[in-house]
Amino acid sequence: MSTRDLRTALCAGSLALVAFAPADAHEIVGNRFFPATLAIDDPGVNDELSIPTISMSKTGDDPSFKQLDVSGEFSKRITEDFAVSFAPTWSRLYAPGGPNMNGAQGFQNLETTFKYRLFKNPEHEFVMSVGLEIEWGGSGAQGVGAERFTVYTPTLYFGKGFGDLPTSMNWARPFAITGQFGYSIPGVSKITTAATDPDSGEQSIDTEFNARVFNWGATLQYSMPYLKSVVVDLELPDFFNHLIPIVEASMQTPVSNTTTSGTVTTGTINPGIIYVGNTFQVAVEAMIPVNRQSGTSVGIIGQLHLYLDDIFPTTIGRPIFGNGIASSGRPMFGR
Amino acid sequence: MHRTVRIFAFIALLCLTPTLAEAHAFLDHASPRVGSTVNPAPKEMVLWFTQKLEPAFSSIEVRNEQGANMTAGKATVGGDRTQLRVSLKALPPGNYKVLWRVLSVDTHRTQGDFNFSVAR
Repeated sequence: MSTRDLRTALCAGSLALVAFAPADAHEIVGNRFFPATLAIDDPGVNDELSIPTISMSKTGDDPSFKQLDVSGEFSKRITEDFAVSFAPTWSRLYAPGGPNMNGAQGFQNLETTFKYRLFKNPEHEFVMSVGLEIEWGGSGAQGVGAERFTVYTPTLYFGKGFGDLPTSMNWARPFAITGQFGYSIPGVSKITTAATDPDSGEQSIDTEFNARVFNWGATLQYSMPYLKSVVVDLELPDFFNHLIPIVEASMQTPVSNTTTSGTVTTGTINPGIIYVGNTFQVAVEAMIPVNRQSGTSVGIIGQLHLYLDDIFPTTIGRPIFGNGIASSGRPMFGR
Repeated sequence: MHRTVRIFAFIALLCLTPTLAEAHAFLDHASPRVGSTVNPAPKEMVLWFTQKLEPAFSSIEVRNEQGANMTAGKATVGGDRTQLRVSLKALPPGNYKVLWRVLSVDTHRTQGDFNFSVAR
């Protein structure tokens, strides 16, 4: 594998990693509970901890290799509507992955997200937030594809429950959708390096262009808790009343500066299920690549997610600043 | 390795000790049941929640199709403080909407609504 091939592979790998980055937050809007989702971030702002999120997949590189990601995310509300989260990810690339095709392991770049809830309408179960995701360049290991430059991704998040449909459409009222639209802007537009051909000894200059990427995704979810407590209580066994079947889609489309990356959209579609408890949720999803560049087989991702606002309601589970009694937690300081 | 075991033990402890934590109060079930059709008309509405409630900030309204409140008196918290009940006026056949708003003992506020019907 030449240096150029390696950089192209790592570039493709880093694009794919966007899909596997931990995505969290849960939100309550009127009757609707939006769970934390795995492939994309949901519109919520809350105190929570995902540990761990584990995924296993085969990359879209050529040759393809297995990749294991273990990640966590801690999200802390500063005010009722504003939160900051930190998300480290450790990766293991199995052979023939890695710089020498012998495999590699190490941390990806640390990700930090600043998120602000713009709007919440309980009656129509609608919520919208904006955020800035920052992947800190140089904080991870280059062997697993962590870039040396920082990437900024302003993102819009939304969630909509269909509980406001007429009662003649009761069957559809437990459905909800969430989505996100982000635009990733690398802090460095291109990287130029000198390379030597190992066979001929000739020197060459390689330029890698860092694409700006449109990150988009959505979820469709059917809430059994909503069915029981809002629409109709079918007296199902309690276990089923905690389930939220879900399908997530997470896509990345390079849109400019695409000389190195190409313009092919990559991503996965993830059918799965979430079990929602009082203070935690457990989720598992299959990761189905949308094309060859996104992966060569179906992967799997699982997550344990803790609702810190419910576990520690009087300490780390409430906003640092804010009003008194709130819809999801009491502030540490303030009225 | 030992550190990893301790981390997972801590997480398991958090998940398996719900009594240490007070969470949002969600509706567990109701009488009459959510979405049900009943006959005869109920004399009271009883809601069971997943957490203990603060009585002063927890309420129920039962509205008929014209929007009139059909409750008779204030809602009271009973049982082990997870139960909220209110007496009802005589309910003629028709559709009714129940609106509840509660505060759990750890000050998480939640609200919701559902329908039931009284058959002829």
